[in-house]
Amino acid sequence: MLFAIDFFVRRLAQGVVILVGVALLIFTLLRVVPGDPVRLMLGPMVSPSVAEETAKELGLRDPIIVQFGRYMSQVLRGDFGRSFVRSAQGGSTGGSRGESTFDASNRAPVIELIATTVPYSLLLAGLAFLISLIIAVPIGVWAGLNAGKWPDRAALYLSSILVSLPNVWLGLVFIFLLSVKTGWLPAIGYQGWTYAILPALVLAVELVPVIIRSLSVSVSANLLEPYVSVGQIRGLTRSRMIAAHVLRNSTIPLLNVLGIQAVGLLLGGLFVVEYLFNYPGMGLLMINAVFQRDFPIIQAIAIFSCAALVGVNILVDFASTTIDRRLQY
Amino acid sequence: MSEHAVIESGARVSTQPRSLGVSILYQAMRTTEFKVGAVIFIGLILLSVAAPSLLGLSPTKFNVALKFTPPWPVDGWVWPHFFGTDQLGRDLFVRSLIGLRNALMIGIASVIGMFVLGSAIGMLAGYVGGWTSLILMRITDAQMSIPIIILAITILGVSRPTPLTVILVFILAGWPGYARVARSVAMSERRKEYVRAAKILGASDLRILLIHIAPNILPPIAFVAVLDVARMMIFEAILGFIGIGIQPPTPTFGTIIADGTKYLLNAWWITTIPGLLLALALCSINFMGGALERSRNRVLQGVA
Repeated sequence: MLFAIDFFVRRLAQGVVILVGVALLIFTLLRVVPGDPVRLMLGPMVSPSVAEETAKELGLRDPIIVQFGRYMSQVLRGDFGRSFVRSAQGGSTGGSRGESTFDASNRAPVIELIATTVPYSLLLAGLAFLISLIIAVPIGVWAGLNAGKWPDRAALYLSSILVSLPNVWLGLVFIFLLSVKTGWLPAIGYQGWTYAILPALVLAVELVPVIIRSLSVSVSANLLEPYVSVGQIRGLTRSRMIAAHVLRNSTIPLLNVLGIQAVGLLLGGLFVVEYLFNYPGMGLLMINAVFQRDFPIIQAIAIFSCAALVGVNILVDFASTTIDRRLQY
Repeated sequence: MSEHAVIESGARVSTQPRSLGVSILYQAMRTTEFKVGAVIFIGLILLSVAAPSLLGLSPTKFNVALKFTPPWPVDGWVWPHFFGTDQLGRDLFVRSLIGLRNALMIGIASVIGMFVLGSAIGMLAGYVGGWTSLILMRITDAQMSIPIIILAITILGVSRPTPLTVILVFILAGWPGYARVARSVAMSERRKEYVRAAKILGASDLRILLIHIAPNILPPIAFVAVLDVARMMIFEAILGFIGIGIQPPTPTFGTIIADGTKYLLNAWWITTIPGLLLALALCSINFMGGALERSRNRVLQGVA
């Protein structure tokens, strides 16, 4: 118990440092890179003086470090600001307002926008995880048990090919073959959980090779460990040895891979796939925000996804130290 | 292209006592998947150099009378457009080959950049140790917890994307991985005998790093970097698809595929042909990179 508290306190402190670093990086990049959000908010017809006034009102003309300090103190209070572009009633208002000054109170709070999209993204990510595990675990274990023989080579070639399929293109192929031609699955938008299947398949194709590789390597390495032959002397059957010991020991590297590589891949893939399928998750919100230079949304989503990644890493490390106490944190 | 050069130099040196890098290359080149990958890759390169002039086709010249002609076995295809034409009657195959050239250029340039930057910083930090090393690790921790896509769309979506900025963003996103690996290897290398010997003989730190440590630790890292070329090419296609990659009229996989989505229902080949070509190219690179990675693991385990 003491171990767990010590572990979490240390790792959470490190995680907070990382998050502040990430926030600072994104914050600075957004403001250093050319592209004035006020122009997009108010449209091309606005006079320079009005634009300047709005920018001052939003605090966009202060030094970056002042802006960052203000932003972080807001975030600490749980306030991620309001969208530059989206109104509270939904829909974006950018560009159509002519001379009127910017109405600050009518903009949607970022936290609400994210809260409405996160469940969709979680459904998609969960489904993708499930599908990829169902496909990859049997293949990976089989390849690992037959290291050097043809199942191993077949798994190798399969994962090399799967890694080479660009997700944007694969998504279009799936839409064309499984939705347009055959009508088996719905593809664009969201009206029920079946709309998540096709995008999840695309994401799963990205995850499968990672899982196969990790599992086959660790299973075959574990089979060479002395405990396997000792177990045979103790009279355990090979299948029992594999099921009870080899697979259990092989899950530690898999957990690491799932935590670090797969969640990273999944997060990156979500943005592309949601955009491709017009799926109303966090990724689509992010990409639209980038096009509209909606800084508060971009910052908040960057921070959220990093927090997710850091959090998963901590949990994974905790899980693997509980499975194998020899691992030090 | 760079792979090709490396292969040749490897073949020449193989009679001398083999260094770590050469023996890894030698092992990898004997595997089937490396050969298959190299043949496809070199074939694609030759094709992208020769095919446009041989067939007398241009990637940007359009001919509206010939728009939407399907690829070869389908009824209605027109010579010499074996792979069909797009919505403006431009030859898809030639456009895809030019796209391949651009993608390769970006992929190779950005991987070389992140490799040089990352391993320089990593080696320095690992060799010097102490606070430098610790600060570097925290920076890489922070940067590795941002998915590369977030970084790329944040910067490129807000600024104006050009080939140079795309490469710079990839380098910015990719260097921490190399820095970590180089740092950890340099740290273990620092304690070895040959480094101490060089120090006693009066070699400067810079000389030790560049002349003694770098040739020992960099080749294994460089071989695995081949896989990153393929990853960067996928990212380039993704950026192009979203519309924040290299801008039209320069053909890239992403923009051709994005154009094709509008005509997916009646002209499926506009997205299919470039996608297949990209997948084939990536496959060849991944085969070679995978073979290099595995033979590196074998050699390193055998040596250690």
